Amino acid sequence: MAPIKNTDTTVREYIITVFTENQVGVLGRITSIFTRRKINIESLKVSETPVKGISMFTIHAFTTEDMACRILSGIERIIEVLRADKYRTDEFTAQQIALYKVSPELFRKGGDACLREHNARVIEINPAYVVLERTGAKEEIDALRDYLSGSGMLMQFTHSENIVLHDASVENALNEIAGRGSYLGD
Amino acid sequence: MKYTEKKNITGAEALLSSLINQGVKTVFGYPGGSITPVYDRLQDYPELRHLLTRHEQGAVHAAQGYARVSNRTGVCMATSGPGATNLLTGIADAMLDSTPVVCIAAQVPSTALGTDFFQEADMINMTVPITKWNYQITRFDEIVPTLAKAFYIAASGRPGPVYIEVTKDALLERGDYKWEPCTGIRSYNPVPAVDADAVQEALTLINDAERPLILVGNGVKISGAEEAVIRLAEAGNIPVAATLMGLSCIPSGHPLNIGMVGMHGNVAGNRMTQEADLLVAIGMRFSDRVTGNLNTYAPKAKVIHIEIDPVEIDKNVRTDLAIVADAREAVEAILGAGAIIRKSRAEWFEAAERYAAEERERVIDRQLRPERDTLTMGETVAAVARQTAGEAVIVTDVGQHQMMAARYSAYKHTRSLITSGGLGTMGYGLPAAIGAKVALDEEATAREGRPARGREVVVFLGDGGFQMTMQELGTMLHWGIPVKVVVLNNSFLGMVRQWQQLFMGKRYNATELVNPDFVKIAEAYGIPAQRITRREELGEAVETLLKTEGPCFIEVIVGKEDNVFPMVPGGASLDDLLYSE
Repeated sequence: MAPIKNTDTTVREYIITVFTENQVGVLGRITSIFTRRKINIESLKVSETPVKGISMFTIHAFTTEDMACRILSGIERIIEVLRADKYRTDEFTAQQIALYKVSPELFRKGGDACLREHNARVIEINPAYVVLERTGAKEEIDALRDYLSGSGMLMQFTHSENIVLHDASVENALNEIAGRGSYLGD
Repeated sequence: MKYTEKKNITGAEALLSSLINQGVKTVFGYPGGSITPVYDRLQDYPELRHLLTRHEQGAVHAAQGYARVSNRTGVCMATSGPGATNLLTGIADAMLDSTPVVCIAAQVPSTALGTDFFQEADMINMTVPITKWNYQITRFDEIVPTLAKAFYIAASGRPGPVYIEVTKDALLERGDYKWEPCTGIRSYNPVPAVDADAVQEALTLINDAERPLILVGNGVKISGAEEAVIRLAEAGNIPVAATLMGLSCIPSGHPLNIGMVGMHGNVAGNRMTQEADLLVAIGMRFSDRVTGNLNTYAPKAKVIHIEIDPVEIDKNVRTDLAIVADAREAVEAILGAGAIIRKSRAEWFEAAERYAAEERERVIDRQLRPERDTLTMGETVAAVARQTAGEAVIVTDVGQHQMMAARYSAYKHTRSLITSGGLGTMGYGLPAAIGAKVALDEEATAREGRPARGREVVVFLGDGGFQMTMQELGTMLHWGIPVKVVVLNNSFLGMVRQWQQLFMGKRYNATELVNPDFVKIAEAYGIPAQRITRREELGEAVETLLKTEGPCFIEVIVGKEDNVFPMVPGGASLDDLLYSE
C-alpha cells in the first residue's frame, strides 16, 4: 500500500483549545503557527484557568483536517504548552454573550415581546438608553442584532467570541497538570 | 560545575559562570555596544575560550559546526540589533537541521525597550518561528534559571536552537549567584517512552518483509543509534540508505550500505525505495528533497517511522506504524523484542548491485575518469577521500559541490559530514568547518590531557558560497585553526545554473561569476594556497593540503558547465531519475 496521505481538502470550522504556562511570548508562538500557513484566526480568547499560572487559549479557525492536525502538533511542540486539543463544530458547544444598547423607545413598541422572543434580558435602564444582554449561539446573537438594527433601535452592539464547552476530560487534564509540580520540574 | 555560589556579582559574570557550569569551553562571538559588560568580564574567566569571528553569521555557523561534529551544544554570542539579526540565518539553519545551539545576545536596557533605541531590534519576535525556545532576560535573578533551561531545551529531545537575550541593565545589575541545573520542565516531555506494543508490531513487519529498506537520518547521529541500526540491519540482512543528513552514520564500506537517497542520491537508494515492501525510517523527516513527488513515493511500501518529534509523523507520508521515541532506544527495543529473521534476499541485493553498476557506468565513471582535460568536482572529492582514507570530517557549503562532496566522500566514522541540509544556507561551510575543527581539537586535547589535534576537517566550498563568508579566513588566521579548504571553482553559481540549463532552456541569468584571485586572498590571510588546473597536479596538491601543519587552501578549477547527476527534478517522482543532460 502506498504511503500517500489523505488529502481531504474540505474546509471546516475548528476550535483549538490550548493549556499553557502563563508566560510572556506564548501567544506569539501560537499565532505564528497559524500565520506561517496563512490561516486566519477568526477569534481568540485567553484567560487564566482555575489552576493558578495556567492559561487557556480558545482559538477558532477554518481549515482542513490535515492542516488542523499540523497546527495542533505545532502547538503541542511549544515548550510552554501543557496540552492542546482540536474540535470540529459537531464536537463542542459554543456560546457567545452579547450586549445591545438600544433606545428606550423600544419598550413603547412592544419591547417585552422582543425580549421574550429572543431570550434577552435587561441589565441596565436609564432615560437615555437600555442595555440588553443575550447569551446564545452566534446565529441567535446576530438575529437579535439584525432585528434591533432593522427597527432603528440599536445604538451600540458588542459581543464576546465563542466560549466553548467540550468533553469533560479537559477538567481532568487540568487537575493532572496542576499535579505536575512547579514549572521547572520538581 | 565550577561556580556554585558567588556573592555580589554582575549579571554578566552570572552569565559567564552559568556557561562554565554548563560545561561550555568555547564561545564563538562578536562584541558590540550592549554586550560590552560581558566582554569586560570575559578575561576574568580564562577557562572559557572566546573565539572572535569576523561576522556574527560566522559565529553562529561555527557554533553549529561545533555542535554537529561533537553532539555537544554550540554557543555563540552577539550584541543587540545588527549583531543579533546577523544570527538569524544560522538560527533558522539550526532549527531545520535539529542542531543544539544556544545563541546569546545583549539587548538595550529594559527601560528603553520598544523606543527604537540605538541598536534595538525586536529579536524575540523575529526568532519565534526559528527557535525551539527563546527568552528575554531583564533581571539578574532570571539569569541562572534561564541559562539552565536554555541548555536543557537545546540539547534534549529533538535538539534545536535557543535564543536568549539579556538587557544591558540586567548584565550590569548585581546580585548573589546560586547555581541550579535544570532537570525537567513540566510542560515539556523531550523523550517519550518507547511503546512496547508498537515495537512488537515493528518486529512483525520487519520479519514479514521481503524487500525491506532502512532509511537513516540525522536523528540516528543525534541519538547515537548508529551501532544499534547496524545490528538491526545485519540481523535482518537489510540494506541501509541514508538521507543527506544521515550520511556517515553507517560507514561507506559497510556491505549493507547502498548510499544516499533523494534528489542527488544514489540510483540504488531511490530505485529500491520505489520497490521496497517496507521502509524502516529512523530519525529522518521525509523531506521533499528525499521523497520527490509524494503521490508516487514508495508505492509498494509499508512505513515504520521511528522519530522523536511527533510533528514529523504523517506530515509528508502516511505512516503505517509510528514509534515516537529516541531512535537508539527504539531500535534497541526492537532488537530486544524477539528474534529478527535473517533472510538471504538474494534478488533484493542483486537489484542493489545492478543499480550501483548502472550508476557507475552512467554517472560515476564520467566524474571519476572523465575523458577530458578539465577536472571534475567528483574526482577532486574522491582524491581527498582516497588520501584521508575516509578518516576526515567533511564539511560543505551549499550547491553542486555539496552534492558532489556528499556523494564521492568516504566515511569511516559517524558525524563525518557536516552540511546545511534543510535550509540550504550558502556561506555555511567555512565557519561550520572552523567550529567543527575547534570541537575536534578540544576533544583530542581533553582525551590526551595535553594540547592535541583531532581529526582533519576538509571543507569543500563553491566559488559562490565561499564569497558569502570568506572573511572567516580571518578567524582561521587569528586563532590558527587548521582547516583544510578546497574551493571548487566553476565561475558559476553552479546549482542554479544547472536548473537554468535543464529546466529553463539554458537561459543563464545572474549565475555567472566574475571572481577575484582566491589564491591571493587566502595568501593575504597568511594561508598557504595554490590553484590547480590540471589532473596531474591534483594528487600532490591534496597531499600538500593534508600534510601542511596549519590551515591550507587549494582552489581547483573545474568544468564550468558540469552538472550533478543522477537527479530527481524538483517535484518529480523518484522513478524519473535523470542520468545526464
